[in-house]
This record gives sequence, C-alpha cells and structure tokens, in this order.
Amino acid sequence: MNTADMVILGCALVTFIPRLIPSIFVGQINFSKKTEKFLDLIPYTALSALIIPGVLTVDNQLWYIGLIGAIVAAGLSWKKVPLGAIVIITVIVLITVYSLVPLF
Amino acid sequence: MSKKDEFIFGFKKAIPITMGYIPMGIGYAALAIKAGLTPLQTVGFSILVYAGAGEIIAVTMLLNGATAFAIILTNFVVNLRYFVMNVCVYNKVQKTSPLLNALSCHLTTDESFAMFSLMDESSIWTYVGLSLTSWLSWILGAAIGVFVLDLLPVIVTNSFNISLYALFVAILIPNVKKNYRIGLLVIITGIMNIILQTIIGNWSIIVSTLLGALIGVYLINDAYFLTDDGGIK
Repeated sequence: MNTADMVILGCALVTFIPRLIPSIFVGQINFSKKTEKFLDLIPYTALSALIIPGVLTVDNQLWYIGLIGAIVAAGLSWKKVPLGAIVIITVIVLITVYSLVPLF
Repeated sequence: MSKKDEFIFGFKKAIPITMGYIPMGIGYAALAIKAGLTPLQTVGFSILVYAGAGEIIAVTMLLNGATAFAIILTNFVVNLRYFVMNVCVYNKVQKTSPLLNALSCHLTTDESFAMFSLMDESSIWTYVGLSLTSWLSWILGAAIGVFVLDLLPVIVTNSFNISLYALFVAILIPNVKKNYRIGLLVIITGIMNIILQTIIGNWSIIVSTLLGALIGVYLINDAYFLTDDGGIK
C-alpha cells in the first residue's frame, strides 16, 4: 500500500462518516419551527460560501475570468434560460473571452 | 407519480449537473495522473470519496509532497459540510427508510444537495435518480480523463472550471428574484467567508454557511419564507 492508497482510503472514511450520520438519525428528530427555517436557509448560505470568493479563483492569474462567468450565468438565469443551457453558454463565453485576452 | 417516474424526474434534473461533472472530472483526472496516481487510483478516488473540491485539493497536496495525515485531515475539514447538507437532505426526503438513506448518503454533493433542496419534489427516488446519475457522470469524467489527459488545451479546461459555479449561480438567482433579502443574505455570507478564510482557513466555508443561516433566521421574513409544512415557498 503506497501513500496514494492511504490517502484514498483515509479520505473515503472521513468523508463517508459525516455523510452517513445525519442520514440515519435525522428522520427520527422533530425539529422546531425555528430550526426548520435555519435548515431551509442552509442551501442559500452554502452556495454563497462556495461561490464567494471561490469563483474569483477559476483562473489563478486572471481573477475577472470567474467574475465574467458568474455575471453571464446570473444574467441568463434572470432571463429564465434553462440550467443546462446556462452551463454551456457560460463555458462558450469564457472560451471566447480567453481567445480575446491576448489582444489586450 | 410512481417510483419509476420519480426516479426519471430526478435523472432529468441531473443533466445540467452532469454537464459540469464530466469536464470537471476530466480536469481532476489529468491532475491526479500528474500527481502520480495510477488510472485505477484516480477513478477509485472518485468512486470512494466523491467530493470534487476535496479530491482536487488532495491530489494537489500529493503533488506538493504533503503527508497522508495532512491530506486526510484537510479532506475531513473541507468535506464536513456534507454533514450539514445531509441534515437538510434527509430532513426533507420522503417515502424513505433508514436503509435507503444509508445507501444514498454517499451521493450527496454540493450540486445534488442544492438541486434537491430547492425543488418541490421530495421523494427519495427522485433524490436517488438525481444523485446516482451525478455520481456516475463524475466517475465517467475521471475515466475519460485518464485516457484523454493532456489532449485538452488549458483554455478549454480553465473554461470548464466555471461550469459548476455557473450552476450554483443559476440555482440561486431565481430565489433571489423571489425575495431580495435572500440576495442580501448571499452577500453577507460571502463577505463573512472571505474574512473567515484569512482567520480559520479551510473551516471558513462550513462556519460561514452556519452563521449565514443563523443570520437568515432573523433577516428573512417568516410569513414570506415558510409554508405551512415548513418547506420553502
């Protein structure tokens, strides 16, 4: 067993246990209304923390690349474009931006 | 809806996720091979750990010669958010059993969690359809990546890096449109995360997620936000 095997098995274990525990116990707990509201808000705050500031490091050299992508995706979503199309269009826009960067 | 219909509904909802996962999986695999993992280890990591950011951080650390202990500890901290996410998922899910929960818990990621939490459907079969499809596409991406390797130009792989962020933003925006205070909460949480990152490093995502939701309990109006059953309006 080399280092990579140890890393894979170790990471698998420390990732699986936190995923498993709530899946077994949560169904048996009745949360208060306030706690339910807290849990309902988690998706929004988790996504916020994942996006900001992570999106600015999509390209380690050019921070604005991620910002452009986020703005394009937000605009398309505002206009109710389907999710799949948003992902494709945003990637295409970024490839276009990249091919323009050397011009400046 | 029958179980089969619910599963297929979940499968369809996973399609935008797979469009992000396959290219990201390819990018991860290229990095893993560069870090010295064998093709089997590369794909095995995606099957067993199934945590995009965690895997990429792990192979980057391997590449930089970090110890196994440091990598595993970092993964624990970075992936601890799945605990919080699964509290939400399994609090919402219906028509389920402890066994089904335990069998599907490994399939929770940022994307499957976000998609499921913010949809009206709540059957376990929809969640299984959604999350199993996503998992398989992440594995497929790694498997493709092992073979195509450096064939992709940097510009293309960098552009693919935006795909999951695009998905996150696109999931958030319709909710911000419905309630501007959600938008305010997004900004507050993001700023907290930026500040906390400089103080507590990898813990910042989970801490700002929890603090943000706590602030939200007081910031977001009950009457607007909650329906009778406690779900999102």
